[in-house]
Amino acid sequence: MDYGYINARMRGMKSRLLSHRELDDLIQKPDLDSLIADLENSPYREEVIEARGQLLGILCIEYALRENFTRTFRKIQNFAKQEEAEQYIIIFLHRWDVQNIKTILRGKNIHVTSDEILSCLVPAGEMDEATLKELLKQPDLRAVIDLLATWRIRYARPLTGAYPEYLKTKDLAVLECALDRYYYTDALDSVKAPGPNNGLIRDFLRLEIDVVNLKTVLRMVRDRVDAEDAKRYLIGGGRQFDERKLAELLTLTSIEDVVKALAATPYRFLADIPEPALRTQKISIIEKELERFLIKKGVGAFLLDPLSVASVIGYFWAKYNEITNIRIISRCKTADVSPELLREELVYV
Amino acid sequence: MVGWEVPIGAAIAFAAGAIGTGWAQSRIGAAGAGAIAERPETAGTIIILEAIPETLVILGFVVAAMILLMVE
Repeated sequence: MDYGYINARMRGMKSRLLSHRELDDLIQKPDLDSLIADLENSPYREEVIEARGQLLGILCIEYALRENFTRTFRKIQNFAKQEEAEQYIIIFLHRWDVQNIKTILRGKNIHVTSDEILSCLVPAGEMDEATLKELLKQPDLRAVIDLLATWRIRYARPLTGAYPEYLKTKDLAVLECALDRYYYTDALDSVKAPGPNNGLIRDFLRLEIDVVNLKTVLRMVRDRVDAEDAKRYLIGGGRQFDERKLAELLTLTSIEDVVKALAATPYRFLADIPEPALRTQKISIIEKELERFLIKKGVGAFLLDPLSVASVIGYFWAKYNEITNIRIISRCKTADVSPELLREELVYV
Repeated sequence: MVGWEVPIGAAIAFAAGAIGTGWAQSRIGAAGAGAIAERPETAGTIIILEAIPETLVILGFVVAAMILLMVE
C-alpha cells in the first residue's frame, strides 16, 4: 500500500482549495451574480458553468457546490480503489448516506416536495442520485424504510428497529439517533483491529461521537428533558465522555452549568463564550464552536504521518469546511449581511 | 592474487547502493506521480527529485571500483 501517492494527490488537491485571501475576495462581492462570476474563475468553474445553464442565484451556487463535493470524493475513491485507504474513505463517505437518509426522512415528515428535498441531498456516499430519487418517490416514512430494506441497504436495520418507537412518540429524533448510532458503531467496528491507520480513524470517530453527544446533551438540558429519557439519544464509544460522565452532564439544569462542567476537558474553550449568550439558552453559538473545534482537529490531520490515511482525513475536513464557508457567504449575500459579521461566521483553517 | 572476499565486498557495496536507490526511487516515484497528476507544472521538479537517489548507486559503484582497483 503506497500512501505516498495518495498523500501527494491530497496535498496537491489541498493546494487548490480557496485561500484566506480568496475567501475574503468572495466576501467583498456586492451580490450573488458577482459571486457566481468569481466562482467561475475558481476550481468550481466546471460545476458553476453547468449549473448556470439550468439554475439561478443561490440555487446555482448550491448545485455547483454539491456537484463539486460529490465529484471530488468520487475522484478520491477512484484513485484509492483496491487500496487499503479505500475502506477508510468509504467510512467517511457513508456519513453522506446517513445525512441523505435523514434529509429524506425530515422532508417526508413535513411533506416537502421531492424536488426541494432533492436539492438538499449530496450523493457523495454509496447511494447514488438514482437511488436517492427512487427513495424520494415513496409517499411516506414507512415506504422509504421499506424500500431501503427491500434493497438490503444497511441503514434499513436501525430504522426498522426504531420505527415502532417513532410511531409511539412521533419524534423524528428517534430515527435520526438510531441512524447515527448505527453509523458510528459500524464505523468503529470496522476499524477495531490494531494498526496505526485504524487507530487514527478510531480517534477521529470517537472525537466526533463526543461532539455529537455534547450537542445532544446541550439540547436535552435546554429543553429540560428528563435525564433517564435523554440517555436513549446518546451514542456510546466517545473518547472523552463515557456513559457515566454524560449521565452526570444530563442532570445539570442549565447550559451555563454544562459549560462549567466541561472546564476540565478539551472543551474548556466553550467557557470563552460570553455569558449573556449562554444565559439566553441559545445553543447555536456553542454548536458553532464545537463544529469549529471539530473542523480544526480534522484539518490538523495534515500535520500527522504523511504516509498514512491522515492526509485523506485532513482533506475531507478542509473541503467540507470550504464548501460550508462558500455556502455561508452565498446565504449571507442574499440576506445582505455585512462583511464583518460574515467573517465571524466563517471558519478559517 | 586477491581472495574471494574482495569481489564479494565490491558486490555488497554496489548492491546495497542499488537496492537503496531502487527503494528511494520507488517511493519518490509514487509520490511524484501523485503530485504530477494534481499539478502537472511540478513535473520538472519531480524528475530532479527522482534522480537524486541515483547518487547512492553511483557512490556504491565508486566504492566497488575502489575496492577492486586498490586492494591487491
